[in-house]
Amino acid sequence: MNAIDTAIRAAASSIALKGVTKSYDAAHQVIPPMDAEFRAGEFTVVLGPSGCGKSTLLQMIAGLERVSGGAIVIGGREVQNLEPKHRGCAMVFQNYALYPHMSVFDNVAYSLKVAGMPKPERIERVEAVARMLGLSELLARRPSQLSGGQRQRVAIGRAIVREPGVLLFDEPLSNLDAQLRHDMRLELADLHRRIGATTAFVTHDQVEAMTLADRILILNKGRIEQFDTPKAIYHRPASVFVAKFIGSPPMNVLPVTGDGSVLRLADGQVVVEAPLNGNFVLGIRPEDIVFGTGGPLKARLRYREDLGSHSVLAADLAGEVVRVATPFGVDIAEATDLSLSFPQARLHLFDAATGRALPGAIGAQ
Amino acid sequence: MVENAHSLNIAASLVLLLGITYILGPLYLTFATASQSYEYLLRSGLAWIPGDQLFNNIARIFTETRIPLQMLNSLLVALSQAVATCALSFLAAYAIVGFRARWAGVVFALILATIMLPLDIRVITTYQVASNVLAPVNWLLDATGLNGVIGEVFGAPLHLEWSVLNTHFGFIAPLVAHGTGTFLFCQFFRTLPADLFKAARMDGAGPVRFMFDILLPLARTPFAALFVLTFLSGWTQYLWPLVASSTPDMQTAVVGLARLSPDTDGAVPDFPLIMAGALIVSIIPLAMIALLQRYLVRGLVLSEK
Ligand SMILES: Nc1ncnc2c1ncn2[C@@H]1O[C@H](COP(=O)(O)OP(=O)(O)O)[C@@H](O)[C@H]1O
Ligand SMILES: [Mg+2]
Repeated sequence: MNAIDTAIRAAASSIALKGVTKSYDAAHQVIPPMDAEFRAGEFTVVLGPSGCGKSTLLQMIAGLERVSGGAIVIGGREVQNLEPKHRGCAMVFQNYALYPHMSVFDNVAYSLKVAGMPKPERIERVEAVARMLGLSELLARRPSQLSGGQRQRVAIGRAIVREPGVLLFDEPLSNLDAQLRHDMRLELADLHRRIGATTAFVTHDQVEAMTLADRILILNKGRIEQFDTPKAIYHRPASVFVAKFIGSPPMNVLPVTGDGSVLRLADGQVVVEAPLNGNFVLGIRPEDIVFGTGGPLKARLRYREDLGSHSVLAADLAGEVVRVATPFGVDIAEATDLSLSFPQARLHLFDAATGRALPGAIGAQ
Repeated sequence: MVENAHSLNIAASLVLLLGITYILGPLYLTFATASQSYEYLLRSGLAWIPGDQLFNNIARIFTETRIPLQMLNSLLVALSQAVATCALSFLAAYAIVGFRARWAGVVFALILATIMLPLDIRVITTYQVASNVLAPVNWLLDATGLNGVIGEVFGAPLHLEWSVLNTHFGFIAPLVAHGTGTFLFCQFFRTLPADLFKAARMDGAGPVRFMFDILLPLARTPFAALFVLTFLSGWTQYLWPLVASSTPDMQTAVVGLARLSPDTDGAVPDFPLIMAGALIVSIIPLAMIALLQRYLVRGLVLSEK
């Protein structure tokens, strides 16, 4: 155990957003009033499509953007009017933003130097961080002499060297190739396990979110769609937006109508018995659809994708495309009729007008 | 195809040869003339072949003319101008690009517009300003009626006078504001990732610290390029030092060189002496280019490795 690990674990603070809003111009609000709490020591992933305000949210926490309203409380202190350096946050940027003219050592040490830490202490700290991140051999190099993954590690080192209470990441893996992204994901998870810093991690990649997060905050146009554990988000999506955003392939959603006794698809096929009236959206995950057992729903196969571990069939059902995940090697030709069944326990029902989940109405919720 | 390329090669070589002759021809004539005596020139006109009087002529530059002193003037003026221009352009560009100032776009456009107003076309107004820098204050005092009050209280209206003509400061100041330099730095700053500034803020560095620790070292090449360019233009500047200086001791070398030809009509100028002077005066900018030429190219291309 390094001293720095324990120091960061001790410093880990919670972040509370209280009615935080942001607008860059009077015309539209990027973030409508938002309340949320990022618990101390937790790894919270902020997930959403690009342009939904994730970076804006993170930069407001960091102090790089001013809030337009509301309060941000970090470790019990209101910080929304403080300069970044007084908030105890550190940040890792998407393109690393290392200082190109400085050595790795100087990059990592820069914040300590600005803070006026004496040189011997500075060297000790940087070397401890370098050992932790496997950078010891690289301290004399320039950023331009490093690989993408190494630069990433330097950026992380620069962030943790100050022993921050909060670590902020803005899409730090999106510039890496697939293999490296996978490796860095493991490294990040490992790092978090060791130092236990409160972490806010922004991404648009649901795999990163599902694998790294203690809890995921799903953002849509600046609004919180759902804020829960990866498991809950996968199994109990709170809205159609979340259902369609999570999972690969994502959940199938179909418009259905209830006549008081059954729910019917647009073409009249009955999906499930339910005493409901009105318009709804029905959701079912591709891997939950049972296929090839002479089920009641008639669909037509459009095309199939063989992924090695499994195949994904895309079928027309009542004018919508439904994806079905099947074990690999199912022998079936394209453009043939399929019969499917939707197990009731696996169904998700959403309000057609609001898109919110209707827990307890049928099936899974 | 091969034949084509071959004839293309020959054509290209011919063009290059022509270009070299065009550039080196006058230089050769300068050198040849500088190495002949005045009498030889009077006898045979243009000097096509070098003579043996080069060192003699150079010695005469040092003993008979004020060129050495004037070169010191030039050095002072060109260096100060280069330093001041670089500093001002750098700061202006930082203000425009580094901060979300509301009028940054307008200011940038106005600065660019000054490129179309070189000193040569505003030399008369510049002369007026330089002859009394405080003239606007006088005007303001008159216009606001304040001078009437002052006249009543102190007995005479206030009239301030401060001429910078015939001073080194007067040679430098009007040329320091540099639209091209500001543009150069603006374009360079725009190539830097925006997150760099944010990263520095997270590290606790304010705008001034960021400028010294990060921006300045990164801007080394455009700095050197602009420095060389403004130094050269300051050294070879003719019109403004000619107009603004009134004593030979204050003149710059280029002006002094031109003054070596006699004002009297009909006399044949001492061309060997003048050309020897030209050679000496060119040495400093030549050395400058030789030393810093790699920055010149890299800085203008704006790609930092
Ligand atoms: N500095 C800015 N000025 C004006 N609008 C901005 C600025 N930064 C971001 N925006 C707008 O705010 C919205 C959210 O941006 P951002 O937080 O960067 O999204 P994300 O990180 O989720 O992709 C976008 O519509 C973007 O155009
Ligand atoms: Mg972003």
